[in-house]
Amino acid sequence: MSFIDTDIHERVSYEQLLPYLEQPWRRYITDCHWMQEKHMPYTQPAVAGVDRADARLPDGRPAGSDLGFMQEQLLDSNGHEYGILTGALDPSPSSMHGWYEMATALASAYNDWQIEHWLEKDSRLYGSVHIAAQDPAAAVQEIERVGDHPKMVQILLPIDDILWGDPFYHPIYEAAEKHQLMIGMHHNEPPIYYGKWPRYFIEWHTLIPTSHMNQVTNMIFSGVFEKFPRLKLMMIEGGFTYVPFLMRKMDQQYTDLRHEVPWVKRMPSDTIREHLCFTTQPLEELKKWELMQIIEQMGSDQIISFSTDYPHWDYDSPERALPPRLDEDLKRKLFSENARQFYPKLHKGGRTDG
Amino acid sequence: MDKVVAHTDDLAPGEMMEAEFDGRSVVICRASDGDFHAFTNLCPHQGAPLSKGKLCGAPEPTDEIGTYNYKNEGNILRCPWHGREFNIKDSGRMLANERQKLREYKLSVEELSVADGNIILYK
Repeated sequence: MSFIDTDIHERVSYEQLLPYLEQPWRRYITDCHWMQEKHMPYTQPAVAGVDRADARLPDGRPAGSDLGFMQEQLLDSNGHEYGILTGALDPSPSSMHGWYEMATALASAYNDWQIEHWLEKDSRLYGSVHIAAQDPAAAVQEIERVGDHPKMVQILLPIDDILWGDPFYHPIYEAAEKHQLMIGMHHNEPPIYYGKWPRYFIEWHTLIPTSHMNQVTNMIFSGVFEKFPRLKLMMIEGGFTYVPFLMRKMDQQYTDLRHEVPWVKRMPSDTIREHLCFTTQPLEELKKWELMQIIEQMGSDQIISFSTDYPHWDYDSPERALPPRLDEDLKRKLFSENARQFYPKLHKGGRTDG
Repeated sequence: MDKVVAHTDDLAPGEMMEAEFDGRSVVICRASDGDFHAFTNLCPHQGAPLSKGKLCGAPEPTDEIGTYNYKNEGNILRCPWHGREFNIKDSGRMLANERQKLREYKLSVEELSVADGNIILYK
């Protein structure tokens, strides 16, 4: 069965970005030891930090940093038809709390590195445009610069402490529509307290869907999908089992409080079914009847798309993560057709013609 | 059937290795007391290769919030993917859910000399 993996994390080192940076940006890394600071209080959870222990390279380089190893361990062994790269969110230009000039330079360098070392080296791999969204004009320039690359399928926005529905960011969505790019959102910083940290990592990982719910709610009630009718949103790495609740809750609120957001003209659940898709990972262990019940409550089997999250510790196996004995038609949708429908550029197989 | 899968001096206490038995991948673990244990090399969750994980210890359950008592060094097998913990001295039982166990293989050590011997798996 063909398989489109909607969340693969390739990793860059700052050193690898140097050839793609002009001065003075380069010297801030070489001379001033620039790196994007995080405030992680805990070691990340599993045997090898944030990564699968068996995904670290034999020579010690971090997981996700070598195409050959990724091909062997992931793409070839699972028979991937396509894989969509989402970066390691380090650096994460849209999460920088200032110095947007540096963030913009890093985003451009990252995109050039991604195109040269991944997208143009393996026909199966597709990419995400990295931008510094805090400066929408500069972000639009970057989308104009690389957005027409035939293998760039989405613009990546991290789930951090910004809600992306605000009209301030709408120029980015306008540029996305123009270049047939979708929006991909991936959580980055801790999902609770927005900008603060839970006491334990286990809280963070449990509550990832809540940060996704914030974004979906904000985007829909901000009228993003009314204003940009061809725009679609892939919610990456939050799972999908929360979606039936959110649909029902939003529809109820809309029924009662529509007057506050008169630019919203459809039931939120309809907008979700038409404009959103949700990657599967990290999956809870579900029985078949439980999965089917969730899909029934979503009112669609076309808005879920399988993802592995390779090479991270909470990787989901395409063979083992979903319950066994699913109907072939459903498996085809989950493993490839839904992603193929979602990303129009996948239809073209990376070709620029036609 | 029985088969020699490793030698005792292949592993120090707290180490593990992959081996093949009956056409399947198994993981041979040497516990901190020097004893050997063998399990299927597939995590029952999603099939990760356990031999790529870690033999370590684990904090035992505590009644005090914020208290960590790290015990069992070398006896807890943690999966290389999702980090699930299995106690090799307790039939491969999972720490978080005692209803789940790894499949354990019968094993014996045939002494060849004072220094080393053959580790034999039985079915």
